[in-house]
This record gives sequence, structure tokens and C-alpha cells, in this order.
Amino acid sequence: MDSWDASRQATTPDEILTTEAFLGSLQLADSFFPSGSYTLSHGLESYAEAGLLDVDSLTAITGDLIRFSVGPSDGVALAIASRAARQGDLDQIAEADLRLSAVKLAREPRLASMRLGRQMLAIARDVFADDVSRAYLARVKSDELPGNQAVASGLLKAALAIPVREAVISELHAFATSCAGAALRMARIDHRQAQRVIRNSAAVVIAAGDDALERSVTEIGGSAPFAELMAMRHETAEIRLFVT
Amino acid sequence: MTRQDTTNGRGMPFRVGVGGPVGSGKTALIEALVPMAIARGHRPLVITNDIFTNLDAEHVRASLAGVLDPERVIGVETGSCPHTAVRDDPTMNMAAMEDLVERFPDADLLFLESGGDNLTLSFSPALVDTYVFVIDVAQGDKIPRKKGPGICRSDLLVINKIDLAPYVRADLNVMRDGAAAARSDGAPFILTDCLTGEGLPEVLTFIEQVGDLDGR
Repeated sequence: MDSWDASRQATTPDEILTTEAFLGSLQLADSFFPSGSYTLSHGLESYAEAGLLDVDSLTAITGDLIRFSVGPSDGVALAIASRAARQGDLDQIAEADLRLSAVKLAREPRLASMRLGRQMLAIARDVFADDVSRAYLARVKSDELPGNQAVASGLLKAALAIPVREAVISELHAFATSCAGAALRMARIDHRQAQRVIRNSAAVVIAAGDDALERSVTEIGGSAPFAELMAMRHETAEIRLFVT
Repeated sequence: MTRQDTTNGRGMPFRVGVGGPVGSGKTALIEALVPMAIARGHRPLVITNDIFTNLDAEHVRASLAGVLDPERVIGVETGSCPHTAVRDDPTMNMAAMEDLVERFPDADLLFLESGGDNLTLSFSPALVDTYVFVIDVAQGDKIPRKKGPGICRSDLLVINKIDLAPYVRADLNVMRDGAAAARSDGAPFILTDCLTGEGLPEVLTFIEQVGDLDGR
């Protein structure tokens, strides 16, 4: 795949995925990791309520969300934060963080991202003894910065020496898993279909991840208007299993 | 008093988990305890975990209108995983808790209600300081003998709706004996009726004692 090769070239020589970092990546992507992601449907609950969610549409929606929304916004912010964390550049992290909040139009995902981000920063500080996360969390707690989940994840992944490319791609993979998990719990798909959705999202995860590596802070932001509307519709839904 | 020496060391109020099966009366118990706690000089907060909607939170707000500021009640959606939300991954609840405590630093007591779950429900020690497990007589008088972490290892077992016992052919003595046998080392259990208030002062006193809270 072309994008794979391009990003390979963009990876610096010291960014080799060591076995220890690989294990760290597995730990963070595991659904057992306390990320709170099981409470999010990423707007899929609104699709389900509108009768628009089945295994085929789920695959398409998940792919579109990754390609046009999560990848260009959260993915880019994560990549920038992860690179900046290696240099201890809190200002650069802050810039990506603020921009990410600015492009999250729907209220619920924006607030959920901030809530989960704070918790992840606390885990990075308390479990992984990451000083950058500690310093950053202090600024978040003073309400100076939003502390988005993708940014927090970027800091933690940098602390675990997970290369930026793998950091972004594993995040997008976790997003696909989260979408499949939400659909499963809404009884729209079965467990085998869920695995198929995740597997079928691999190509778009890699492509969107590689694209995210090439973007700057000012390029943080996606465009998925229908998905935004569905996320906004969720705020007033009568029946809600999920936070978003 | 505001507790400063909790497990997280962040000056959180004393955090009481309230869990149990669907319909056992967790919400009713909290709605009955809160006015009593306020009367004893406490300043409570409430977080509810719902499987669907914010119904419990709305019910608590409505029920306690004029008694408790509705802003002191938060509902958390659990993504269909009430057990995960309070044990395996309490992230969203911890976030909600921090939000509430930031807004109401005066609080000395926080009730955290789990979504209705089965008899295996337990709380993460990172989330609560003590937990109360609520069952009710209508589930059958054999329920305490079924054991499970909630019945055996909760800090306090509440057997609720004792007023219904004659109508569902539940023998309270069987439930007492079953609870005593299931709970080791004389761990406490209290029989309650949230409508008449029977047993509720004892429940609140238990919370005050384990939380080292000053009551009137």
C-alpha cells in the first residue's frame, strides 16, 4: 500500500516498535484498559434509533467516521501531541488540544472527550509515572486546557515509547472496535459480525492513520456533517444507552 | 466533615456505592436516605448509573425537589454495561464524581447508585469507600442463600421491601438466617421498608460510622 510506504519513510529511525512498546500498545488498545470507551456509541445510537444501523451500514459508517472525522481530527491531534511529548513541548500539545476541541462540533462527544482525557492523564501519571502527563494534567485541571482523550492518549503512548505511526493506527483500531462493541450491545450485529467489521476496517484505519501523520495543527478537523447531526440528535433522544 | 483520607487522597466526600438487582429499591433507598442525611447535617451528592436514559437521576431530582439541589444529582449512561461502569472501568463515574465535587466542594457524602445488575455486582475500591448491596423480599426468600459477591462481601446488605413479605410469601426469618449464613464474621445486614422508614436510620448510622462522619 502506497500510504504505508510513505509513512514508513516519515518514521524516524529511533521510532522502532520495540517488543516492550508493542506490549504497551496492546495494553492500551485492550478493551480491558479503563478508557471509558464502552460508554460511547460515537453517534451510532442515533443511527440505530433511525433504523439506519445494520452490519453493512455499520462497516460503511465506521469507515467513514475514521476517514472523514476521527482520523483527521483526533488522529492528527494524537500524532502531534505524541511527537511534542517526546520533546516535552507542552505548548505544542496545548495548541493541538485546543484546536481539537474547537472542531468537535457536537456537545456530547466534545465533553466526553474532555472527561475521558482527564481520566487517562491521571492514569498516565499514576500508573505509568509519566511526568509530561502530570504536568499537562495540572494545566487541564486549572481549566486552562481541555485535555482531550486523543491528546492524553498521545502523551501516554509517547511515554510508552510507542512510535507515532503505531500510536495513531492503534487508536483508530480501538475506535473501530468501540463502534463494533456499541453495535453489538445494541443488538444490531452478532459477535462474529463484530469481528468482521473490525477486520474490514483495517485498510481505512491504516490509510487514515498515515494521512494523519502528515497533517499540521491547523489541519486538525474533519468533515462528516451527517454524523455530526446524528451525534447532536443524541442529546435529546428519549432512549439512551450511551453517553454519546 | 469532608473526608481527606480516602483511597484517592483528593479530599473526596465519603463515597457510598449502592448496588443490587433491578427493582430492588436502590433509588428508593437513596431517595429516603438523602433527606435524613441532610437532617443530620450532611451535604450529600448523588450519581446514578442507568442502563437506559437518565430516568433514575430524573426520579431522584423530582423526588427530592425542595430537599436537594437538582444540580447535586448526575446521571451516567453505562453503554449497556452497568457492572463495567462501577467495577471494571469506572472511568466515566470517576469523571462525573470529579465534576460534582468540583462544583460542590462542601459535600461530605456521595451516593453512587449502580445500574441494576445481578448478584455478582461489586464496586471498584477506587470508586467507592464502602458499598451497600440491596435485595428485596419479592425476589424470593432464598435469595440470600444464593450468595454472590454482593450478598457475601458488601459492607452492608440491605433486605428491602419487607412490607411486601406477606404478599409474596417470603419468610423474613428465612431471609435473616440466609443472610447471616452467607455473610462471614457477622457482617451487618439490615431489613428495611423505604415507605415507612423502618431500618433506614440504622442504615444511615452505619454509613456515618464507617465513614467517620459527624452526624447530629
